[in-house]
Amino acid sequence: MLRNVDLWTRDGFFSTPDGSSIYFWGLASREDGKAQLPGPLIVVQQGDTVRINLTNTLPEATSLLFPGQEGVTVDDGTGPRPVQPRFGPGGVLTSFTDYADYPDNPMANPTRVTYAFTPENPGTYLYWSGTNVHRQVLMGLHGCLIVRPADYDESVPARRTAYGEGTGTEFDREYVLVLAEVDPELNYNVEHGFPYRVRDYKPRYWTMNGRCAVDTMLPSGVGYLPTQPYGSMITAEPGEKVLFRYAGGGIENHPLHPHGNHTRIVGLDGRLLRNGATDLSYKRFTVLVGPGQTYDQIFIWTGLGFDPVTHPIPTVLPQLQNLAVGHAGNTLWSGSAYLGLKGDLPVGVADLNDMGEYYFMLHSHEEVQITNWGKYPGGLMTMVAVFPSGRLGERHGRIPYTESVPV
Amino acid sequence: MAIIEQRLGATDGWVKMPDGNLFYIMGFVDITGVPETAVVSYRGKARLIAPLVEAKVGDEVYLTLTNLGFPGRPDLDDSHTVHWHGFPNQIPLYDGVPEASVAVRVGRDFDYYYKPLDPGTYMYHCHFEPVEHIQMGMVGPLIARPRDYDPGVPALKTAYGSGTGTEFAREYFVFLTELDARAHEFMVLVQEYDWSEYRADYYLINGRAYPDTVKDNGDPSLPSQPFSARIKANTGDRVLLRFVNLGYQQHAIEIVGIPLHVAGVDAQRPVGLNGEDLSYGKNVLYVAPGQTYDVMFTAPAPGTYPLYNRNCHKNMNAGVAPGGMVSEVAVHPGTLPPQPGPNA
Repeated sequence: MLRNVDLWTRDGFFSTPDGSSIYFWGLASREDGKAQLPGPLIVVQQGDTVRINLTNTLPEATSLLFPGQEGVTVDDGTGPRPVQPRFGPGGVLTSFTDYADYPDNPMANPTRVTYAFTPENPGTYLYWSGTNVHRQVLMGLHGCLIVRPADYDESVPARRTAYGEGTGTEFDREYVLVLAEVDPELNYNVEHGFPYRVRDYKPRYWTMNGRCAVDTMLPSGVGYLPTQPYGSMITAEPGEKVLFRYAGGGIENHPLHPHGNHTRIVGLDGRLLRNGATDLSYKRFTVLVGPGQTYDQIFIWTGLGFDPVTHPIPTVLPQLQNLAVGHAGNTLWSGSAYLGLKGDLPVGVADLNDMGEYYFMLHSHEEVQITNWGKYPGGLMTMVAVFPSGRLGERHGRIPYTESVPV
Repeated sequence: MAIIEQRLGATDGWVKMPDGNLFYIMGFVDITGVPETAVVSYRGKARLIAPLVEAKVGDEVYLTLTNLGFPGRPDLDDSHTVHWHGFPNQIPLYDGVPEASVAVRVGRDFDYYYKPLDPGTYMYHCHFEPVEHIQMGMVGPLIARPRDYDPGVPALKTAYGSGTGTEFAREYFVFLTELDARAHEFMVLVQEYDWSEYRADYYLINGRAYPDTVKDNGDPSLPSQPFSARIKANTGDRVLLRFVNLGYQQHAIEIVGIPLHVAGVDAQRPVGLNGEDLSYGKNVLYVAPGQTYDVMFTAPAPGTYPLYNRNCHKNMNAGVAPGGMVSEVAVHPGTLPPQPGPNA
């Protein structure tokens, strides 16, 4: 199947929860659309013919790399040919791949190019700029590419998988977490055309799907974050298989740790962890997500069977005045030890708990990265919300695969 | 199956670095069995690192946290929690995340309950304002033993149960953290610290920097840092090292002349879905914050084998070598008595 994905590079501003508005370079999925951070999530299927039409509006040439894809071609209007690195005067590398030139370049190279490839392997991939990468990748020109297996069928549980039927990668819900970090000095200097030495790079913000906590927990597509459309709140029901797709979009390492349970890592960089009949998957409670890396993992929370009647908790919950609840003025706690029950909360604490669901933090254990410019809470943090069985609509955590560019 | 009752006090204190500098910390101190009237005498006596919590699969652990307050920061009324990092299928009430459950106010107690399901090396730490409380020292080691663990029977003295190839004669935790001097100075001087400025000055194993790492357990010059980081064994002993990283950086640990075998990661044996043995050898173990590794080796010929951080700039105390994450493995010719307990 032919899948056409149109992308425009654009500049814009993104917001942080502490009130900053930061200049960035991103990708838009419509000609009149806003740049977004990270770039649009691209969802295709194994064996598709994928055409990425990139139009550049930035003040310098730009391009896209598709790590993990082979046989990538480029067409700048003269017909498709294999992508090549580009060299400038003296044979110096100027771009890792063919680029779309900036508008009004006197050399008059095309500002629109089409990359094409046929993904051979299902899995989670990143794409990012291949030109002036020390600036463009950090400025926001990166995004996630999901390749569905050829036999993918969302309506058939055995075929709703990351890597194909029989690979042990079935999932009930799936979430993409693209990780990156931001040094606002870099963005400011690029905005104003000032010089910047990347060796001085010092991140102050860490982003999960382009947002810093606590904005990570807001829904996708909220109007007040117009350039950061993707939320990172994870929702599930007990016993469900939840596919986490971690992707390292920045240049740092991020050790992500979900509370609530281990994950089983089933894929690395878009390759199933299996050699023939030998299963190579493994369980972790912390995954170090390096730059450019992707990790496909299955998370399941079943609980410990506590029930107010049949299996009460073996400790006595102190009275509310002897507990610290909601020191930030609100709480995700239900007031009860039990899933699906709500209890009393202190007067004046805003109740953010819907129906007695459980919240488990998922965050970077390099704790500096869960701050916004040094202030906790922030950065690479979200929650895994476990709802009582049957209470969460099945559409939660289902990425539409028929649209190339959702949201 | 035993019922284990342990009580931790959360308070502040001071630690000493080998260059003589003292640093203000927050931390835990064991107050199990201390009469209620004497509990206040533990204010200001936090330990780096926190006391070992140890249980077998099937045991029931009642861990009481008592918030003793900060005598060094009487203006600060921070709550605290215990987060058992990596406990599978936990419920929020016992998970210790204050935003998603409850925390313990100054002067109050709270009982956490754990019935370990899987053996392995874990860690615990306070999750209240974690970037501050973890760096300030509220971190400790946690061992879940297999259900059939029996230290009197060599075949049952294992990390992951009989038949898992994890029999050991001696075990040590190698607990990695860093200390940012400015963060600790700002804290006691009642100043806000910009955590994005984090910069480690001291690199610690079991709460100590070299050469303090090789001093004995309970060395009187280090009253708040009771755990030695010196590893001792007899030639031929199987030795289990339980690595924990609760710093904010990756660390790369090598023992000169002793190759390591990774028998567990994050409290899980490296085993595929069909039982495939995925354990592997390492010469330099790379550990990220929030990870644990169970690593085994067979003690070689008698001698001293240095342990150091292959991130070589971390073998320093405030920029001065030698120091930091350096310790040693002392191999004896069969003259060591049996080990009475972890790190003993």
